[in-house]
Amino acid sequence: MEDVLTENPPPSRFFQEDLNNFTPSPEPPLPSPFIVFSNPKPELPLKPSLLIIALSSPSLHIFHSCLPSKTLIGTLIIPELPFSGNTVEPSLQDKSCNVYSLSDNNENENSVLLVSVQLPVSPERSNLVSRLLIGQDIVPERVIILDSIQSRNFRGRLSPDEALAAKLETSSEKKAAATSRLNLDYFPSGSVIDGLSASLLSRCQLKNIRGTLVVSWPEFDPSVVRFVGGLLKSIVPGLDNKSVGKDLEMYSSRSGLKKDAWLDSDLYT
Amino acid sequence: MEFVVEEGKLVHEECSTLILPALSIGNVGQLAVDLLVSSTAAERVGYVDDLNLLPCVGNDAYGPLPCGDIALPLEVYESSSTAITLAQQRSPVAKGMMIKFAENIAEFAASSGKKDVIVLSSLDFQRLHNLDLSRGPQVYYLSNAESDGRDDHCERLGFGRLGEYDPEGRCWKYLSSVFDKNNKEELSFPSEDELEDIDYYPSLPFAALFSAFKARGLKVTCLLCYCSEGDNIPDAFLLAEAASKLTGLTPDKFHGEEGGKWRIPYSWKSMYGAPPDMSMF
Repeated sequence: MEDVLTENPPPSRFFQEDLNNFTPSPEPPLPSPFIVFSNPKPELPLKPSLLIIALSSPSLHIFHSCLPSKTLIGTLIIPELPFSGNTVEPSLQDKSCNVYSLSDNNENENSVLLVSVQLPVSPERSNLVSRLLIGQDIVPERVIILDSIQSRNFRGRLSPDEALAAKLETSSEKKAAATSRLNLDYFPSGSVIDGLSASLLSRCQLKNIRGTLVVSWPEFDPSVVRFVGGLLKSIVPGLDNKSVGKDLEMYSSRSGLKKDAWLDSDLYT
Repeated sequence: MEFVVEEGKLVHEECSTLILPALSIGNVGQLAVDLLVSSTAAERVGYVDDLNLLPCVGNDAYGPLPCGDIALPLEVYESSSTAITLAQQRSPVAKGMMIKFAENIAEFAASSGKKDVIVLSSLDFQRLHNLDLSRGPQVYYLSNAESDGRDDHCERLGFGRLGEYDPEGRCWKYLSSVFDKNNKEELSFPSEDELEDIDYYPSLPFAALFSAFKARGLKVTCLLCYCSEGDNIPDAFLLAEAASKLTGLTPDKFHGEEGGKWRIPYSWKSMYGAPPDMSMF
């Protein structure tokens, strides 16, 4: 049982250093993240009609198992995060942030881009990363972000065996035709989403780009994987939904997914 | 830092007073701004985009029903009927970047044509040395109207001057020097190990904002109240009421519930989480 005296305060409360003007800034300053594109380097900025960014485990699973026709075109590098343990071919187990292209039926290159965020981006670095992905090297017409609900920031009740999903949209997305928007309830007022997905959606709002953030719960659940698969099927024509059911037993319980977690450590690379 | 005007909205030039919260114990300043935005029916006109702010998003905080309008970390609201600009900050500042953030906000205020700034903040009740229960909850203030922090208008309103303000104190002098571009004196950054009790007040975010606005030549008043962590809604009402008195807002400027003054923001309904699961009874 957690010690109520020393456990982390809820996120609305501050640590002493959060309220101290004289807390030193990190030294030395970290180098900025950047995107390395494949050879031949595409003409920048890329201007896809749709950019899909996967952060949640279900969406990452779908990206890797149901989109065999995707082409790796770039990798986002966060200098302080090591590559050790990553495989030569992109893998779901890698700590990486890869950018893929999904050609449409008209063979329009880079019309749909996918970003698979498989590494921990700290809140302090999120704004720099989101600027790279939206508005700098990539200028999309529409963005869909897939993340999980963070229980620490959710003011409602979350049941471990009851799946749910909700969305937040930018003003541009709200004005778009109803048939083109995702049919989901809004994320309830009073709860917040933080981290990279929040920074990405904020970026869309500031740049007046159509953007939708879809958050789902629980993080490891077969029904959520199917839901995300169905959601993506409606917007990515090439998605092979038949593959969604594969390996779902690893999502039947949190312990099932984490059975090899002890290997998922920088100590064992 | 960039101020982005929301599409289709206009900034009201006549809004020369800016009210904003400083991060503080119990989030009181932020709760007070929530009340002011909700109760004056101020309309969002734009966002402040600052790299030093940690990211967060949410659904519309004010209602009357959440309609899916996205809420960002630092938003600017205005009401032409009150001639007041309200800035609401929803997320913390990145570690170690408070001074830079204050500098950016002061730049925003000055370039937006603001003349008066009111900063709302709370103080840790454990730091209060002279407790006078006979006067009821007390609002304190710090102003740059006079060099010792005093302001006649605040005195007439019954606010107590923050007696712990010492402009010659090491940390207050450091803050002044950091924001004053003409300052030639080199003062060292106080290390956390060197800080003493007296350095508590200048170490708080409100002090950085106060010093930054002062350096830009704006009239700045900090409204402060002592509190502890817990149910800080009463503290928010105290500061919001004080701000409305200081700015001379008359009751007709408010659109409270059932004809009253204050309207509780919709987002407050879930402030303390979901109600208990009744199925267990």
